[in-house]
Amino acid sequence: MSRILGIDLGTTTSCVAVLDDKGQPKTLAAADGERTTPSWIAWAANGQVTVGTRARRQAVTNASATVFGAKRLIGRKVNAEDVAQFAKLAPFRVVAAPNGDAWVRIHGQPISPQEAAAHLLRQLRSIAEAAIGEPVTRAVVTVPAYFDDAQRQATRDAGQIAGLDVVRILNEPTAAALAYGAHRVGSGRRIIAVFDLGGGTFDVSIMSVENGIFEVLATGGDSALGGEDWDRRMLERIVDEVFDQHRVDLTQVPMALSRLREACEAAKKALSVDRETLLQLPFLANDQHGAPINYERTVTRDQVEELTKDLLDRVTAPTVRALDDAGLTAAQIEEVLLVGGMTRWPAVQEIVEKIFGKKPSKGANPDEVVALGAAAYAGILGGEADDAALLDVTPHDIGIKVGDSGFSVMIARNSMLPVRARKLFATTSEDQKFVSIELYQGESSDVTKNRKLGQVVLDDLPPGPPGSVRVELVVTVDVESIVGITARELRTGKETSITVRPSGGLSQREIVEIINRRRNETSVASYLPTEGGNIVRVTTREQAAVKPPPPDEDK
Amino acid sequence: MFLKASSQPSLGTLVRIDLELPSATVIELQGTIAKHVTDPARGTGIEITLDALPTKTVWLIESALAAETKVRADTAGGAPPPPRPPTEPPEAVVRSDVAEAETDLVRALESEAESLRKLNPFLVLGVGYETTDGDVRAAFGELTKRYHPDRFARYQSTQLRQTAAEIFILIRDAYRKLADENSRNQVLATLKPAAPPKRPQTQPSAQTSQSIPRSKTPPPMPRISVPAAIPPKPPAIPAPPSLPASMPPPPAAAINPHDVPTNPSPKTAELAHTELAKAEHLAVPVAQPQVERKSGPIRRVTPAGGVERVQPVTAQMPPGPVKVDNDNADADALIDQGRLDDALAAYRAGSKKNPSDRALRAGVELVEGLKALVNRDRMEAAQRFEAALEHDPSNERAARELAEMRRQATNERKGLLSRLMGKKEPT
Repeated sequence: MSRILGIDLGTTTSCVAVLDDKGQPKTLAAADGERTTPSWIAWAANGQVTVGTRARRQAVTNASATVFGAKRLIGRKVNAEDVAQFAKLAPFRVVAAPNGDAWVRIHGQPISPQEAAAHLLRQLRSIAEAAIGEPVTRAVVTVPAYFDDAQRQATRDAGQIAGLDVVRILNEPTAAALAYGAHRVGSGRRIIAVFDLGGGTFDVSIMSVENGIFEVLATGGDSALGGEDWDRRMLERIVDEVFDQHRVDLTQVPMALSRLREACEAAKKALSVDRETLLQLPFLANDQHGAPINYERTVTRDQVEELTKDLLDRVTAPTVRALDDAGLTAAQIEEVLLVGGMTRWPAVQEIVEKIFGKKPSKGANPDEVVALGAAAYAGILGGEADDAALLDVTPHDIGIKVGDSGFSVMIARNSMLPVRARKLFATTSEDQKFVSIELYQGESSDVTKNRKLGQVVLDDLPPGPPGSVRVELVVTVDVESIVGITARELRTGKETSITVRPSGGLSQREIVEIINRRRNETSVASYLPTEGGNIVRVTTREQAAVKPPPPDEDK
Repeated sequence: MFLKASSQPSLGTLVRIDLELPSATVIELQGTIAKHVTDPARGTGIEITLDALPTKTVWLIESALAAETKVRADTAGGAPPPPRPPTEPPEAVVRSDVAEAETDLVRALESEAESLRKLNPFLVLGVGYETTDGDVRAAFGELTKRYHPDRFARYQSTQLRQTAAEIFILIRDAYRKLADENSRNQVLATLKPAAPPKRPQTQPSAQTSQSIPRSKTPPPMPRISVPAAIPPKPPAIPAPPSLPASMPPPPAAAINPHDVPTNPSPKTAELAHTELAKAEHLAVPVAQPQVERKSGPIRRVTPAGGVERVQPVTAQMPPGPVKVDNDNADADALIDQGRLDDALAAYRAGSKKNPSDRALRAGVELVEGLKALVNRDRMEAAQRFEAALEHDPSNERAARELAEMRRQATNERKGLLSRLMGKKEPT
């Protein structure tokens, strides 16, 4: 049986890990020695795709065809507020797919974020294959705990496009805790909080770790808050300044935007350590008269903190709510674990300390810990590690629509998976012929603001006065977060059921089309050297992905 | 045998101790108070001289200990153990075989779920009624490692994973209900009225013996017996701790009549202690014996001076010892000869003549069970044997047959899993 990879598909950087021969998770380095890969994907004019550091390096000269932060778009609608904000300042174009999903337009060609992420996954796979010297077809991929069904499914679809069977989607903070707790077996029960502020998402999870059992008590977060928001605040400020001084709108100059973004990120990193830093951007753009704009100014940490105060405030509410959901007070948390690059920012550490009343601990390698946890979990699923188990929860309320817009919760958020809930309904009118039950996911009491998961219709009900016919509804969520609904009429036993196959926005046909297109592309591209992988092997595996081998050959 | 006691009834008082085996059998030990002891190290107490036990009773205690050892040794307690990578390269297994093995596993898990459904939360988790948050969590953790659907992630059968999920939900619900003391007390309150006065606890490790259905009534609270001839006021003579479910009975070993002759010599006392240590060791996994009581445990000093806590004695009149009818010897002989129908007729006739003799009624059930075994109806057989033990807890043969069936079930499942794993590993 081939090994299962653990992949952290991050907003800004990604990482791949696997269990070594001793059963310890370890991250895998690319040929250049790097253990993390920037989540950047670039398309050259000839269609060739580059990924990672190289994509990032060429971004300045090819800004409109270099995509980053695809994770912010995956499984999202283009009209979502945070997507629109992100799109406004992205050097590449974000467009609407026919179904309203956010896609990117590269060289005039619409490309789904799933496909972009698939390039990244493919790269990570070839890094892993080169490092361990054997083919890999399966992976555990992490997502923010706060991702909803569509975002999770879109991530799975990305795996499929990349020829990877995503055996499980794992929550990032849970993965981090798994990596963290794996070394501390047998030290009694500990309640920990994982505070994960990454490039694009924020998650907080309250967990108990005891004797190999990792139990998520509650989770919360904001799937659209991360380090890039800090960068963007600085960027917006500079764009405004330049417009005030020179009457030039930099958002229309992709190359300038791209340089600014790099500079802002670098400045933020510098300010995590120093109190002030110098921003220097010579020849940023030309002013109205064609004269070059040389941007230069000193930025202090205080200024940036002032600028991003509201962002910082946005971490408090989900954290407090998660504590509340877990039925714990901050004082009961024994350890706070920081994950994600943005937790290096001093103000973030301060607010964490303020919320929990204790100094958070920084893991040895916050950029790798999620991938390490994913690999450890892959070991559990593969049967290599049988002294650990992971008990995760549903991140959102699941319930049914009542009346016109009411939302009746059947499975509360933070319910341990797998979970099952039953509810009895009675007919409301004489000789009612059918009942229709719509299932939604979300926190709003107004059902229309939540995400619809699916609908069952139970018809041919036996006749009778109102209330005489009873229908039992059973909603289940399994360990893979797959939702099932069954409705059964109690007198006749007639039942109907569906399994909610969440849609990540791409149909199966579209996915196969992408795979086929990609295969044609690779046959052209195979003459070109690519990063960290062997093209010939890539091509053959692409074909395998379209037509999976019969299971018995899958050893 | 020494028992710590705050008051000391007069010498020669008859003492009766009920000993509950995990197999649901109650053994009644009888003895007399031999002397009053006041020892600075051990405190005040009494020395009890136990009457010799009939050999069949000794056998019952021993087999209960042996069965428990075996169950523990199987890690899983008879449940499908978490599949482990085999240490030796497994043989290649044909696909159809694998499908079949998975079907078998599904079936095993389904009956597992079925039997768990009938248990109260304490028995589902295999913890004692007087337990702690930590032990409930530990028991839940152990079961989680065994039954969490992730454990079955690598099998192809979705039904397998669904059934595992079913079981896990049952375990998790039990955990929820027992997670803290308040909710535990609520559960206890619902159990108490239903608990029949005498029927001993069922053995929770039977949650693992999938073929053995349980009685629908929730098992009674752990219960302590009662010195018969002791004054009406709750007596000060402590009995051995009543055993929480799934526990091998440490005190059984300690007072194993083998080791405790009328006049315990130092050597036998030592022996008894070794036995006790062994028994306690066995008790370590899933749940610890929960002998502690909020009302303040009485301490009992083991022969070697170790201190054990013992539940206080509750006042309750014990039923007299079950009469073991020697007239059944004929029917027993018929069973030994394999003439089951004749044996059944003999027991039936006896039972008609003497309807109040529970031993005879047990005999009827026993023979019915043996007949079912001949017909390979193990479900029926297990039910019959359990019924026999219900009528007559000292029915040795029924207890032995049940223990044997459990052993078989465990072994079968082990074979099943190794077949499954054989296919899952590269060859």
